[in-house]
Amino acid sequence: MRSTRRTAELTAAALLEIRALSVQFSTGDGPVYAVNDLDLQVRRGEVLGMVGESGSGKSQTWLAVLGLLAKNGHAEGSVRLDGEEILNAPSRTLTRLRGNRVGMIFQDPMTAMNPFLTVGRQMTEVLQWHRGLSRRAAEARCIEALTAVHITDAARRLQMYPHEFSGGMRQRVMIATALLTEPQLLICDEPTTALDVTVQAQILALLDELRQRHGTAIVLITHDLGVVAQLADRVVVMYAGRQVETAEVHTLYGAYRHPYTEGLLRSVPRLDEARAERLATIPGRPPDLAQRPPGCPFAPRCAYAAPICAQQMPPLVALGPEHLRACHYGGALKSEARGA
Amino acid sequence: MSATALLEVRDLAVHFPVRGRGWLPVHRTLRAVDEVSFAVRPGEVLGVVGESGCGKSTLLRAILRLIPVTAGSVRLSGVELTTLEKAALRPLRRRMQIVFQDPLASLDPRMTVGEIIAEPLTALLPGLARAERRQRVERALQQVGLLPAQINRYPHEFSGGQAQRIGIARALVVEPQLLICDEPVSALDVSIKSQIINLLLDLRAEQNLTYIFVAHDLATVRHIADRVMVLYLGRVMEITDRDALYAHPLHPYTRLLLAAVPIPDPVRARTHRAPPGRDELPSPLALPSGCVFRTRCPLATARCAAERPALRVIDGRAVACHHADAAAGQP
Repeated sequence: MRSTRRTAELTAAALLEIRALSVQFSTGDGPVYAVNDLDLQVRRGEVLGMVGESGSGKSQTWLAVLGLLAKNGHAEGSVRLDGEEILNAPSRTLTRLRGNRVGMIFQDPMTAMNPFLTVGRQMTEVLQWHRGLSRRAAEARCIEALTAVHITDAARRLQMYPHEFSGGMRQRVMIATALLTEPQLLICDEPTTALDVTVQAQILALLDELRQRHGTAIVLITHDLGVVAQLADRVVVMYAGRQVETAEVHTLYGAYRHPYTEGLLRSVPRLDEARAERLATIPGRPPDLAQRPPGCPFAPRCAYAAPICAQQMPPLVALGPEHLRACHYGGALKSEARGA
Repeated sequence: MSATALLEVRDLAVHFPVRGRGWLPVHRTLRAVDEVSFAVRPGEVLGVVGESGCGKSTLLRAILRLIPVTAGSVRLSGVELTTLEKAALRPLRRRMQIVFQDPLASLDPRMTVGEIIAEPLTALLPGLARAERRQRVERALQQVGLLPAQINRYPHEFSGGQAQRIGIARALVVEPQLLICDEPVSALDVSIKSQIINLLLDLRAEQNLTYIFVAHDLATVRHIADRVMVLYLGRVMEITDRDALYAHPLHPYTRLLLAAVPIPDPVRARTHRAPPGRDELPSPLALPSGCVFRTRCPLATARCAAERPALRVIDGRAVACHHADAAAGQP
């Protein structure tokens, strides 16, 4: 069943198309290059995993798409939602878009909610504002939405304030709120990072259920390779503001071809394998985004680096129908036997 | 075991009074830590795991005497800490140090790295000569893989991983026996996290250190700990040697935690997905009767509501569950 659904997805046109996106911040110490020349697609109904460490540009990419960059940030390039250009669109257009066609969920639901307003007020506002519903109709709709994310006793919960909810419940409220306007695209930035593992499992199952039921495309931004493996159809690995490898999820975990992907996957302690005496590491430090080296940004930490890597940025090359990689190294990776 | 333990905690309780509000205020008690007993042997790493609200942080603070203890005993090499006067406690503080979760937030931004690392020396070994102090600071820097030349830099010039190295150097500079690590790698990136874990393992081997390593990430704890203690709502559910715990957990809560850890393998993730529970943690102000875990437990029976299971030894492992005998009997 799954495979037929997948094929249908692959032939569908892109829902969101990012072309040559660059994001810069001007700071007192000069410019910081957060995203560099990024090309990316989100297809209808797919879950796209966006993996990277701090400073990889995984979050700034989507803040730029939504027009939510910090004041000193500046985005260039093109972002088309259903063919319509939305990058740097007027704020009225973006406000309408964010409430209607694109939903967002952030890491810490407490900071994304107003502590002085009841949950009901914050949720109904969305429908009154974007859909012009009456208060009563909006409330009825919110009760349905909370029930859909498995919150019991929804009518009473609407009268409660955010602090009266546990972290997992608040994240459910956030998801319910984001889905009120039935968006085509849901952007989730580290949606489970602040939650306990047991609650994380519940939220991931909920996201999976929602995408099956509504066909909502989901962008899952996370540093956690375990989380991506649960949910994503395709995965983009980011480093220093660049896409270094993109592949269908099974290819990425089973037949990765970028040294950074290899390093990430090998340095995660995992419960499904025998315990190694020593964890594999990626030597060195995270990249300095104030520098824009002429070559591959990962080269200083890369075990396979050759002289060309410091001089020339490797282009993003297709290795297969669903597999892109930006790397000069042509040989086999050390862990390939295991990875294959 | 108690004769050789470096740290021994017995029946430790930390309760906080919670004042009621309104006309007829009901004063209640929050039992953050209750009847917790365990020992840490010299040279071992004891991992402590549990969800938020399980009492991990309260337990650490109580051991370090940063908060008052309601009942019970904490002994470091046989010396009772809970009743010691402040002045008598000071020489013992040198023997146990703490590393915090958020490395940048736990370093004073106005102090240089050298001043930060020297601070515990000034506080705990005030008699030390200046040259000796400097020497110790430089040694601590080297031990954690930083350069002595970085001694005059400020915290903001360092990345998260390097800042955590500074935090570790600050703890090590007084040459403690016991290092209490409170989520030391949780805020770090994947590629940096493994560097710090390896550093902690190296330091332990070189200096015969003992760790209490608190984390919510069970995969990381498996990597560093020799034994693991599982806490839930302030109580010990299970304390077991690492390999036994991960291979065959006896407590249903340990099983629930392990099943929830996402595995970075899409094939396994999609075929072995455990149905997640839909239940919520009970309020710590209104704990369930009997076993505190029973409201989320798939095995709960009438006995679990009536009778609180004691921590007892089964197959050489300590478990607080009425059903642990049956679990131990299974392959």
